[in-house]
Amino acid sequence: MRAYSAILLLYGLLQSANAWADGLLAAVQTSNGRPLPGAVILVHPLAGNSQPGAAVNAVMDQVNRTFVPDILVIPVGSTVAFPNSDSVSHQIYSFSPARRFQLPLYRGKPYPPVVFDQAGIVTLGCNIHDSMLAYVLVTDAPYFGRTDATGSWSVDLPPGAYRVTVWQPRMQESPEQEVSVSQSGRTEIHVRLTKALRPAPLESRHSWDTY
Amino acid sequence: MSALALLALGLALSAPDWEADVDVRLVSSEGQRSVTDGGLGTLRYDDSQSGLRLGRARFAVSQTFAQVWSAHFDASYWGDRDRNPIDLTEAYLQFRPYPFDGGYRFRLRAGAFYAPISLENRSAGWESPYTLSYSAINTWLEQELRTIGAEGQIDWLGTRTGHAFDLALMGGVFGWNDPAGVVIANRGFSLSDRQTTLFGRVGATRSGPLQPMELFGEIDHRAGFYTGVEARYFDRVVVRALHYDNRGDPTIYDEATENFAWNTRFNAAGVRAESGGGWTVIAQYLDGETAVQPAGGYRDWHFRARYGMVSREAGHHRISVRYDSFVVEGTQNGHAWTAAYVFQPENHWRFTLEWLRVISDVEKRPFYLGIAPNATETQVQLAARFALGPAAR
Repeated sequence: MRAYSAILLLYGLLQSANAWADGLLAAVQTSNGRPLPGAVILVHPLAGNSQPGAAVNAVMDQVNRTFVPDILVIPVGSTVAFPNSDSVSHQIYSFSPARRFQLPLYRGKPYPPVVFDQAGIVTLGCNIHDSMLAYVLVTDAPYFGRTDATGSWSVDLPPGAYRVTVWQPRMQESPEQEVSVSQSGRTEIHVRLTKALRPAPLESRHSWDTY
Repeated sequence: MSALALLALGLALSAPDWEADVDVRLVSSEGQRSVTDGGLGTLRYDDSQSGLRLGRARFAVSQTFAQVWSAHFDASYWGDRDRNPIDLTEAYLQFRPYPFDGGYRFRLRAGAFYAPISLENRSAGWESPYTLSYSAINTWLEQELRTIGAEGQIDWLGTRTGHAFDLALMGGVFGWNDPAGVVIANRGFSLSDRQTTLFGRVGATRSGPLQPMELFGEIDHRAGFYTGVEARYFDRVVVRALHYDNRGDPTIYDEATENFAWNTRFNAAGVRAESGGGWTVIAQYLDGETAVQPAGGYRDWHFRARYGMVSREAGHHRISVRYDSFVVEGTQNGHAWTAAYVFQPENHWRFTLEWLRVISDVEKRPFYLGIAPNATETQVQLAARFALGPAAR
């Protein structure tokens, strides 16, 4: 994942709290101050060789002409199965440089999982249903996760210096911050976006939308 | 091994997607004999057709082959006395390859289909999910126009490459639509959902005062064309514009169909916006002219129509209100209000209650029918539609 020179508003950074837990807590807010759930947080150590997380076998389902989940975050080398739970056929593709592939028209689960062996953002689409849109974020970060309903995510980390990156497809910026995690206490970073989010996909996906 | 399996799968025909639906209506109408029945009324049903009616019985099938090719057929019975009880509204072959790097994609359609103009007729069978009766603009399109030819489209899928927009350019070349213009020039706009079938006629269902007309014929042996653009802002906003010219030679008269090659040209534009809260707003505009040149001299008709619709969906319920206004210079002018409530408890059933009032002034009413030129027509329909098939929702 590429980080552009992001304009980033950071406040209250590097707060050393009481020593009830080590590690890092990242909290993300939209530009109007609301917590942002579902944002992806990637944590890379600044020094030394870091190993990517262990490869997993993930699933990107298709339900009611929508990808489920909307975002998958997987370590490099993981596989993703693309079962189609709809009664209509789908034709899944990606032309993203990190992983180009096509799954010819199918229902059910006819194809072996797709291997993602290069870090990057892979945008998924369906050639039959243009409104279907989802992302696979393939990362070499050893620590990663998504923010919860309160817009925060936490992880236990060994002490050291880290680069924390925030990504969400509706964001119009790429916030990135270096933090140092100490031996005692939890390090918190609070990211508040400077630009408004792009609109969320419409929730009621109309299956009748054929023209 | 798996490559071989994939190859075998790709070569085999997948099972076709099919759908079938039946739409039955309770109609109460205070309308004059409609255009589709050979009259000058502006509704689908006149006052003698109140009662239980069949709105439409439809069967459609799509077959994909070699992954990127598909064939589509849409056949309907409309519960009236058209020439063929069951007839096609659309039949075409589509080539839709995968997008390539940069997000570009090419599409090609050949056969008989609707040009990409309407922003309300977005469901299967070219129906509207908002109302039973289409706007004046889109009623005219389904009555008189069909692309019988080929259409190409180039998409730029910007939303797949981190941008906010998708863009499309399209162009069509067609024949067999030379009579398009005769209905609007002689009778004007109406608001209906009775789509003219490929081998059917307008005004053929009962013996009205005006002759039935065939719309899909080639008279002057000159191809028509259209070019259009579409822009989408994520899945929220769609903007379309299209220029159409059937390049009819208005001097040529066809003895067999007793019709001229009408020279019909128009510009159409529209916008549809949807909010996360269930609101939809649609507006469309159409401005054009049609002409014939019999031995006696040239005559042309200028027509304009527009509508605005606001719709709100909440759960299984949807309420829509639309205002239409339309004019055919020297023939008709009028406006209409449509209000509809749609209840869709589950995928198979859909219930719609629609109230439609059209206030129109038609110049030919005194001449052909011996009645006043102005009329207020009202129609209330309660429709129950049952749909079947994997794609029927």
